[in-house]
Amino acid sequence: MKNSRRIFASCCKLSVLALAALVGAACSPQEASPDVSPLEARSAWARPADSGATSAVYFVLGNAGQSSDTLTSVESSGLAATTEMHVSTQRGGMMHMSEVTSLPVPADDSVAFRPLGAHVMLTGLQRQLSVGDTVSVTLRFVSGRTVEVRAGVRQP
Amino acid sequence: MKKLAIIACLVLAGCSGQLERGVVIEDAEPAPALSFTAADGQRFDLAAEKGNVVLVYFGYTHCPDVCPTTLSDWARAKRALGADTTRLRFVFISMDPDRDTPTLTQAYAKQFDPSFVGVTGTDAELDALKKRWSIAAYPEGDPRSGIYTVAHPAHTFVVDRQGRLRVLFEPGVRGEELAKDLRKLL
Repeated sequence: MKNSRRIFASCCKLSVLALAALVGAACSPQEASPDVSPLEARSAWARPADSGATSAVYFVLGNAGQSSDTLTSVESSGLAATTEMHVSTQRGGMMHMSEVTSLPVPADDSVAFRPLGAHVMLTGLQRQLSVGDTVSVTLRFVSGRTVEVRAGVRQP
Repeated sequence: MKKLAIIACLVLAGCSGQLERGVVIEDAEPAPALSFTAADGQRFDLAAEKGNVVLVYFGYTHCPDVCPTTLSDWARAKRALGADTTRLRFVFISMDPDRDTPTLTQAYAKQFDPSFVGVTGTDAELDALKKRWSIAAYPEGDPRSGIYTVAHPAHTFVVDRQGRLRVLFEPGVRGEELAKDLRKLL
């Protein structure tokens, strides 16, 4: 039991991960023209994984517009059995992961999808993802806009 | 978790050897037993690892984020240590026996580095393991659907060369940082 106490005490002492950490972006304060989407995914990458296994896609989602938008769904075609937004959280020394169905993207700001935080989870991959491959996922927003994310497969 | 919740917090020591990211468990005691047979028939027994530093992580192969982040950082640390890794073991234990077979678990761990050990056990073996290590791991979602996640311990557990459960690392400690601390434990 002494060991148990120490393990738990140590877990208590460690800091809790920030949930879906937001990263301020140095975006232009100017509103994008009406026919150009202010939304953009950059620095996208995906984890290598075997066929049938699970992978994750990470990127920085920027909103250069003067209106906030909300990401409501993610999709992929012929890539995985399910494609969902998830967030990893650490509570009481445990790691949990839960689905997110609505994620605000503030005006003139950005949201980082990154390891140990928000990510697009690909479950039941229909093919192997090898380093050098490229995968595509589609992000859908409340505004009706969509963003195509092309992510290179690489090691973190 | 209820069991853990009633345990009083103990004081942590400053790190012996001044670890930068590892949290040292003061007055560390012998690590609980840990013994599994891998898919290739190789037996991993923590009791036989005296003299080695052993990193242990409890996760699952369908974990898309934290587990691969941790094992990638392990692999990066091992590469950073170069020739200093002969007395270092990396052990990944799947806590999702319904989906993770020993073969799948071993293949998963070896994706990150061929030397990594990947093992799992039966429900009964993993239940006993959880009691011995005072850890929790349980499905979240509907396991009957086949699409669920598994809550599992966040930290990497490190057993020192004397076989004591000595250090914890938070997830997200980069491989280079991990390597610096491991070098002090070797």
